[in-house]
Amino acid sequence: MVTLTIDGKEVTVPQGTTILEAARSVDIRIPTLCYHDRLNPIGSCRMCVVEIEGYTHPMAACTTPVDDGIEVVTKSDRLTRIRQDSLKLILVNHPLDCPVCDKGGECLLQDLTYEFGIDQVEYKAAKVERESQYATPLIRYWPDRCIMCLRCVTACQEIKGIGAISIQGDGYGAQVVAVDAEKCQSCGECLQVCPTGALTEDLSRYKGRTWLVDRVPTTCTYCGCGCQLELNVQNDRVIAVTTREGVGVNHGSLCVKGRFGYEFINSDERLTKPLIKKNGKFEEASWDEALDLVASKFSAIKEEHGPGALAGLTSARCTNEENYLFQKFMRAAVGTNNVDHCARL
Amino acid sequence: MAEILFSSWGGEVVDNRQKDGQDFEPVNTVDLPEYFRQDEAVKALMGWYGIVIRDPETDIVDLSRVYIQEVQNKSCGKCFLCRIGTRVMAETLTRICNGQGKSEDLEILKRLADSIRESSKCNIGQSGPLPILDALEHFAADFEAAISAQKSVAAGTYHSKLTAPCMDACPIHLDIPNYVECIKEGRFAESLDIIREKLPLPGVVGRVCVRPCEEHCRRMNLDAPISIKFLKRFVADYELSKGKEPEFAIEPSEKTGKVAIVGAGPSGATCAFHLAKMGHDVTVYERFDEPGGMSAMGIPDYRLPRPILREEVDRIERMGATFNYETTVGKDIKLSQLEADNDAVFIAIGAQMGTTMGVEGEEENYAGYISGVQYLLDINQGRDPYPEGKKVAVIGGGNVAIDCVRCSFRVGKDDVNLIYRRTKNEMPADDVEIHDAEEEKVNFHYLTHPVKILAENGKVVGLRCVKMELGEPDESGRRRPQPIEGSEFVIECDIVVPAIGQTMDLSLLEGREDVKTTRWKTIVVDEVTKQSDQPKIFSGGDCETGPGALITACAGGRTAAFNIDKLINGEPLDYTEDDYFDKFFSKVKVFDPAEDIGFLGGRERKELEMLDPDTRKFTNAEVEQGFSINDAMAEADRCLRCYRVATVRV
Ligand SMILES: Cc1cc2nc3c(=O)[nH]c(=O)nc-3n(C[C@H](O)[C@H](O)[C@H](O)COP(=O)(O)OP(=O)(O)OC[C@H]3O[C@@H](n4cnc5c(N)ncnc54)[C@H](O)[C@@H]3O)c2cc1C
Ligand code: SF4
Ligand code: FES
Repeated sequence: MVTLTIDGKEVTVPQGTTILEAARSVDIRIPTLCYHDRLNPIGSCRMCVVEIEGYTHPMAACTTPVDDGIEVVTKSDRLTRIRQDSLKLILVNHPLDCPVCDKGGECLLQDLTYEFGIDQVEYKAAKVERESQYATPLIRYWPDRCIMCLRCVTACQEIKGIGAISIQGDGYGAQVVAVDAEKCQSCGECLQVCPTGALTEDLSRYKGRTWLVDRVPTTCTYCGCGCQLELNVQNDRVIAVTTREGVGVNHGSLCVKGRFGYEFINSDERLTKPLIKKNGKFEEASWDEALDLVASKFSAIKEEHGPGALAGLTSARCTNEENYLFQKFMRAAVGTNNVDHCARL
Repeated sequence: MAEILFSSWGGEVVDNRQKDGQDFEPVNTVDLPEYFRQDEAVKALMGWYGIVIRDPETDIVDLSRVYIQEVQNKSCGKCFLCRIGTRVMAETLTRICNGQGKSEDLEILKRLADSIRESSKCNIGQSGPLPILDALEHFAADFEAAISAQKSVAAGTYHSKLTAPCMDACPIHLDIPNYVECIKEGRFAESLDIIREKLPLPGVVGRVCVRPCEEHCRRMNLDAPISIKFLKRFVADYELSKGKEPEFAIEPSEKTGKVAIVGAGPSGATCAFHLAKMGHDVTVYERFDEPGGMSAMGIPDYRLPRPILREEVDRIERMGATFNYETTVGKDIKLSQLEADNDAVFIAIGAQMGTTMGVEGEEENYAGYISGVQYLLDINQGRDPYPEGKKVAVIGGGNVAIDCVRCSFRVGKDDVNLIYRRTKNEMPADDVEIHDAEEEKVNFHYLTHPVKILAENGKVVGLRCVKMELGEPDESGRRRPQPIEGSEFVIECDIVVPAIGQTMDLSLLEGREDVKTTRWKTIVVDEVTKQSDQPKIFSGGDCETGPGALITACAGGRTAAFNIDKLINGEPLDYTEDDYFDKFFSKVKVFDPAEDIGFLGGRERKELEMLDPDTRKFTNAEVEQGFSINDAMAEADRCLRCYRVATVRV
């Protein structure tokens, strides 16, 4: 264990802990922007710089491991100046188009700009022109809004092990591009970790302000993994899917289906009532009618050919409970062991 | 050296601007060369460590503009302040130089320079704005004048370069910070690509390089250097473990030709690689039946397993180069024949003959007297050089001597002695090697010198030695050893192995007075282009430099390849800007061992696991086990990414 002080408070943490983690363990907040719990520290934003007594150079708290006896200072005029300059430089390029941005209201840059009271930017440089193409049509890339924190690049590499996007070019002209677009699986991991509105989903025709939508936690129904997600609901419509870091088995990750496959919910083509074929044509029916019909047909088949003539196949999209009930129904009510599940095929 | 008007290099300000020439204070922190190239006098330097001005006509505002623009161009874009901040600075300075400066500009420049310097992620941002701050402080009047005049400033001529201490120290100038960063980010294949752009033998060099880069690693000033060598090995091994075959894009030169290479050692192989990449028709002639030169015949398998070397050379063959083994140039085929049949010949025959000690009994051809290179050659080919002998005395203090003693155990010799005339401190062998030999229980006899080989019936039976003491320092700065009278004693042994140096076997040049050699038997070539007095003949590696290191030999092969390509394309073999910067940086040091970095250090360098010394010494199994993925990434994360820019006004 290593003991140090942060803003005068004594902290003891295991060796290898970063200064940022040590500070968080005693509820000292150091501002961060590029840091993300699920990623190795990136160190691009420099918002987390701290001073260490006896060392001339400020250091990034997110990338610096603690050392015995060091005295860390997280607030000073110099640090505030650096943090303000970091934000101001971002705003040289980043438009303050918050009113029309999907991320408005839950944007880390917006919050920090507010916190550090940046009301004007005296630094000027010609705007950088960046390509707007992205690896997948499901995600929209807003090049002007990209602050190049590199969370997306890191997440694609570290969480998914794919590396479809990377940084290209040097200096001011450096940009995030799809270096290997074919590898992209449209999982949206990049979108999930983007702290600003630079990556937004490019799917839903319906938009809603982040503070007006209801986020309904649920379990993804696409497969048996049980990923946790939140349906973003506005006026009884699902307009997006989001996830929460650290929740469920997926810790915030999803696959392309879970993140983007929600449009069917409000699809006009979706069946909402049972249909019974009469005279060669499907006609709407009530649930009672439909279930009665199925029950009578099943009974007839069983009567005539025995229960072995019936078989049941369920879907991976059903929950465990539903699958359990289904096999119980087939075995106990119908009387057959002919029951299977699509995930086994 | 012409007098310096102003210097802030290394933080020490010398300001001679108001003084008469004879009262000029000297500048101790930097030795600014007088010329960049023959016709270009160095007027000023702006770089990571400050400003040096020689010519009073230097326009500091224009110099600052060009320099910071270069910093901006080279900024990697991976942190906010450096990426955008240096751009704002560059645009501001450009505006001032265009006669459109504003009064608030200087304050903005200063504030930004401070923030960028104090908080950038890597050294390009940490060092980049430093000389601008010096300029704003010491040349404020010049900036104010430029702003108030509202007139454009005349643009000068400049040369700029990005470098790093490790990169500069590496003879082949591998882009070390870049390949290390790729490892940190888990992009191993990219890392290997960066290495292979210059060096086709990463698995070999990643095992046995003498690592001048690590001696110049800035992290040393904080705790310990980055394990650059083993990170290189890691990416090479990783690729091999995945069974991936690298793809080398062949990009043919405008004009391609035929080239013969003599010697398939590291130098010849590297030259073949680059020539093949440029689409030339390359044939390598090698007198042994396998490639690698001293890295195969000299370096023992427990340090460098043969399959690693074989695979890396095979890849060069698969790129299209032809290897003719068991063909000795000078004997089986004449040099003049190669000259006649080819557009150019690259001679890379190494330094393959052992030198003698000048000790009584050496000329007698006693059984048991074997030169170091021959001894290792036999062992590397699977033979015991002298099965009768069991007690070995190796003479020398370099890596070759250490290889000889450590190899001895591996062919079943049980009493192994190393005789060196100075102390352990002066020993030129790598500390790691010395330590490993100690672990394997070699008997070290320091301050000992052989005087006579003792023999009976034509067989070695002992070595008479004398004790030494250290006297006054000699030219090399090491204290000269002197014999202590009356201290002679005998080391009982039946094998004597002198391993005090190698020399060149130049028999292939017999009758060729037109190709000059030195009195140390090295071949004379232009130090940069590797071209000899005979325009078609080039040479590099140990036979150019004398016995040296693998990476230097590879570097020689690489430059030769580019210059041979120029020759074939009818271009003049001019030095490049990079070549001139090499010379420049040999004076203006890129690494300052005394620099106070100002960061918290104390992050342990990852070390490799080793086989147990008591058992490993009886086998040829590789002693050092490579990094795990986690260790490699953690080690790479220690890198400070010490990129820095220098701009020279000529
Ligand atoms: C025992 C030993 C250990 C060493 N350990 C290290 C180490 O750990 N790290 C390091 O960096 N360096 C080490 N070195 C030095 C390193 O091996 C050499 O600097 C390097 O191999 C030189 O490369 P080269 O291509 O110039 O010559 P060489 O490697 O000597 O290759 C020359 C080749 O030319 C061939 N040849 C010679 N004459 C002819 C001819 N007439 N016709 C055809 N072919 C010919 C030879 O057979 C040989 O294959 C060591 C050297 C020795 C001897
Ligand atoms: S810390 Fe990294 S960049 Fe700096 S000298 Fe060492 S290896 Fe090179
Ligand atoms: S949070 Fe540490 S540099 Fe961004």
